[in-house]
Amino acid sequence: MNEPFVLADLIPVLAPIFVIQLILMIIALVLCAKAERTRGPKWVWVIVIVLINIFGPIAFFIGGRRSE
Amino acid sequence: MNDSAKTLNVHGRFEGRATTGWVRYVVMVQKEVLELARSYKLLWVPLVFILLGMMQPVSTYYMPVILERAGSLPEGTVIDIPMPQGAEVLAQTLQQFGTLGVLVLVLAFMGTVSGERMSGVAAIIMVKPISPLAYIGSKWTAMLLLTWGSLTAGYLGSWYYTGLLIGEVPLIDVCRSLFVYGLWLSMVMVIALLLSTWLRSPAAAAFATFGGALVLTLLAHLFPAFLGWTPGSLSGYAYQLAASSMEDSKMLGYAVASTLVGAGVCISLSAALLSKSSTDE
Repeated sequence: MNEPFVLADLIPVLAPIFVIQLILMIIALVLCAKAERTRGPKWVWVIVIVLINIFGPIAFFIGGRRSE
Repeated sequence: MNDSAKTLNVHGRFEGRATTGWVRYVVMVQKEVLELARSYKLLWVPLVFILLGMMQPVSTYYMPVILERAGSLPEGTVIDIPMPQGAEVLAQTLQQFGTLGVLVLVLAFMGTVSGERMSGVAAIIMVKPISPLAYIGSKWTAMLLLTWGSLTAGYLGSWYYTGLLIGEVPLIDVCRSLFVYGLWLSMVMVIALLLSTWLRSPAAAAFATFGGALVLTLLAHLFPAFLGWTPGSLSGYAYQLAASSMEDSKMLGYAVASTLVGAGVCISLSAALLSKSSTDE
């Protein structure tokens, strides 16, 4: 921990985490776009999904869609 | 929904001598797995577990850097956090799975039976020659499939990162603790299934499951001498196994046995509740 902190060292470690977060976000956005009805306005869900890491997409998956 | 109903129709028509109870059960499991795939649960639940698992060792490793960068500490403050052992990080990962992971699983499955009863799908299925036990059993199989798959993926992700960043942990310890923790999660999911059959509201079922799991663990951890054999103590044993500091393996055996019995009782109860309420309506 004494060596200087270099951003380049972080990238291989953090890349998988970012990729998985991105996948979750994209799935949630696609489902949100495809859903006929969502619980609450759609644009609010888009903001929630994009801005809140991990928990935004999870919240949409669990409670965002109304079942037909 | 339509497709699976059609399959059931076909099997309903050919029932009699042609299909056995086992075949119907397999068809029901296929329907449940199809539903998991359609609702994308098969995709996002494992991804969340992998994310939770990977973030634990990474955030532990970078904690000093994060504190240094983000905290408004005065110049020259020396941050000296001892780096934990690899096994400790794995135990912390299991704790994450025990709170956030259980929350996600329980919320994902809270309406598994009550939702189908509300929408009338359960009634359609129950007039077919499918026993309540096969119906509940198929739900349970699909739940366990997703639970064990997600847990394994997330835990192995955590193990890989822990080995990379913090310290190697023997794979055998990881597998043992994975097995014991998986049993505990299975118990929680069986309780969720029972409550989802019993209670009308999915939200009530979710909260009751979460509360019940909390009470079970708390009691077992408060009175280890009296309640060390109960399912609630399994999570504690899993932490010990990850750290390979298992003290009482006899109690672990009892806990595993009592969990299996408890799961069996819960499933029979759910099936009984389902057949009783379907004759009532």
